[in-house]
Amino acid sequence: MENETEKNDRSAFVSKFLRLLKGELGLILILVALMVVFSLMSPYFFTSRNLLNITRQVSITLIVAIGMTFVILTGEIDLSVGSSAALVGVATAAVLNATGSIFLGLIAGLILGVGIGLANGVLTVYGRVQSFIVTLAMMGIARGAALVWTGGKPISRLPVDFAIMGAGYLGPVPVSTIIAAGVFILAFFVLNRTKHGVYVKSIGANREAARLSAIPVRKYRVLAFVISGLMSALGGILITSKLLSAQPTAAEGLEMNVIAAVILGGASLSGGVGTVLGTLLGAMVIGVIDNGMNLVGVSSFFQQIVKGVIILVAVLAKRSD
Amino acid sequence: MPDIALKLEGIYKSFGGIHALKDVSFELSEGEVHALLGENGAGKSTLIKILTGVHKMDSGTIQVQGKTVTIEDPVDARHKGIGAIYQELSLVDSLTVAENIFLGHEPITSFFGTLRKKELIRRAAEYLSSFGIEIDPSTFVGDLGLGQKRIVEIIKALSINANILLLDEPTTGMSRVEIDTLFEIMDDLKLKKVNMIYISHHLDEVFRVCDRATVLRDGQNAGTFEIDKVDLKTLVKSMLGRTLKEEFPVREGRPSEETILEIEEFKTDKMLAPVSFSLKKGEILGITGIIGSGKSELALGLFGADRAVKGKLSIAGKEMRLNSPDDAKRHGISFIPEDRKEQGLFLRLNVEHNICVANIDLAIKNGIISSKKKSEIAKETSEKLKIRPLDIKMAVQNLSGGNQQKVVIGKWLCGEPDILILDEPTRGIDIGAKTEIYSLINYLADSGTGILILSSEFREMSAICDRILVIRKGTVVAELEGKDSSTEQLLTLALGG
Repeated sequence: MENETEKNDRSAFVSKFLRLLKGELGLILILVALMVVFSLMSPYFFTSRNLLNITRQVSITLIVAIGMTFVILTGEIDLSVGSSAALVGVATAAVLNATGSIFLGLIAGLILGVGIGLANGVLTVYGRVQSFIVTLAMMGIARGAALVWTGGKPISRLPVDFAIMGAGYLGPVPVSTIIAAGVFILAFFVLNRTKHGVYVKSIGANREAARLSAIPVRKYRVLAFVISGLMSALGGILITSKLLSAQPTAAEGLEMNVIAAVILGGASLSGGVGTVLGTLLGAMVIGVIDNGMNLVGVSSFFQQIVKGVIILVAVLAKRSD
Repeated sequence: MPDIALKLEGIYKSFGGIHALKDVSFELSEGEVHALLGENGAGKSTLIKILTGVHKMDSGTIQVQGKTVTIEDPVDARHKGIGAIYQELSLVDSLTVAENIFLGHEPITSFFGTLRKKELIRRAAEYLSSFGIEIDPSTFVGDLGLGQKRIVEIIKALSINANILLLDEPTTGMSRVEIDTLFEIMDDLKLKKVNMIYISHHLDEVFRVCDRATVLRDGQNAGTFEIDKVDLKTLVKSMLGRTLKEEFPVREGRPSEETILEIEEFKTDKMLAPVSFSLKKGEILGITGIIGSGKSELALGLFGADRAVKGKLSIAGKEMRLNSPDDAKRHGISFIPEDRKEQGLFLRLNVEHNICVANIDLAIKNGIISSKKKSEIAKETSEKLKIRPLDIKMAVQNLSGGNQQKVVIGKWLCGEPDILILDEPTRGIDIGAKTEIYSLINYLADSGTGILILSSEFREMSAICDRILVIRKGTVVAELEGKDSSTEQLLTLALGG
């Protein structure tokens, strides 16, 4: 009898493990394959220096993509992340220069990000406009605001200390990698071990059933946009810190890379399906492609085509099994 | 020995290690209507899906007219002369009756492959009139009633020259007159040498139209019976594997004197008229009326899902306003909605998630979910409700209808509500599961829960309720003691006689 239950436990464990593999295994295989190919093509690829460099390059996409995962899980989309990141970068730099305090600059940037997310959320949920439309409009507004604010010119001459977040290293590890890892762990915990995660998944899977299961649906839908706004703000701050300059044209097209990472990670645009682990792997795949093709010397025009094809192939392959 | 139209032998099918079908055999003779019976989850749907090419069997043989065949996919099934009509209609509202009938195999000109519209209408009219049905083939399907749609669906299935027709709960939502028409068509089909497999929870229908019945239980054969040599009790016993003592279990307890919920002239933006009533602790109060009488709107209003615009609502003597379902839950109200797929379940998510979602707080300590506690709650609830298969990691969409309904009930059961509102709790589920749900309702009432059941099954209402309110066009028109009421009386009141 005891043996029997043990066996059942083990088979339950194995099937759970298989389920996990089925979800993420494809991505891991793609990642390994890409790394093998690039290692063969370039001696510089598989070095600890370059690999750490990839994590630094991926960190910003990953942070914003984690915010996007929350939005996509609820069955919505946030197109404004790139523009918000740029506007937050500008605001952070402006406050920093005006007050001389890095802390105040960061706080101002993060609050602005939350504000943009809140506006997206309230307009979508309470204004009952599709998030695609709301955030498309916000994408224009935020980018425009950044350009108007700066007159189209970057804000530079920022204090060198500010560069630590985006460009600094802690030993051999980039600081932005550590920040991204922290965000990932926190998001993983929230989605898997808290009420918030259960609610977000439920809302995406069936909004009406979620409402009738006594979930405060509207609150959590708005919250998803707020989280996305906050994450884009963090992304914008890191970009500004890395360049030690706030560019109103920064992060153009970031939303596409971010959405690609989330979808590549197995999330469904119709909501309810998706994990941050998948998003991490998706972002890594995109990061490795970018980095590897640069090292190999593929022209940046051609890179876009290759990336598009790989995303399509990966998504199709996941569908068939 | 009559000729055999269809023969299934030794069919096995399992999903993820769980046997859905185990050595099942089935035989359909030429010219018969053969009922396929069983509780929810007994394997009927799986068998049908194997026959129509939706699922592949693991092993076994299928013979059509004596020839062994393999059925690759639904299109292949149609080529082999197997047509099917499901509970959910597959018609396109924005196309005409004729276009729907020939959807996928329209008559086309040989040159350019364009549609021969006149031919389409002519052939559709021919089909319809051969069954004596008066529907204009150029009508849009969206303009037809449910019963007429169902008939179009049947004609559509036959238009591929099907000689084996599967009917899965074909009378769902049909009026009595429409059901009679359906049975006449079935008689006609029999004369036209169409062999039919009939699936229904309504055993009275089975006795009316079927020649034989094969019963499945837990994925295995539980017997095949000649309908004119068998009685209801034997069939039910074979379906359940035991004698059903009573369809409606006896209520031991009595309502207390303490009022738990009271509304006065209460109305939401969706309700047709204000309603007043009170519910006592441990009472089973029924609210009945025909479809469209405003029952569901009342339920949604009491659960805070619609906006209250008028009147008073008090819980345990305290007047309050419920602004959301979340609010209602905090005050001890639980609600099992009418449409389990749209309103009750997260179909793609697993049983555990579905059961725990509304009371996730039970598994949370210091803000962190204990996955162990979560699966314990899900397991305990599944066992209490006898959800089959007992696999809390299974996606709810793979469960049968009755088991899905149990999951919806389980979602609220684990929170031990003070007030439980159930909207059509037994719709589309079998006798065994129904009885289990009635026992559960009794048990909850006996332990002090105030129960409000909204249902249009008059027989069920008069059997299980302590007290019944009849609602018509949103207004309560009568109040009866459950034991004093009769089905006829309720029907008359509900219709406004």
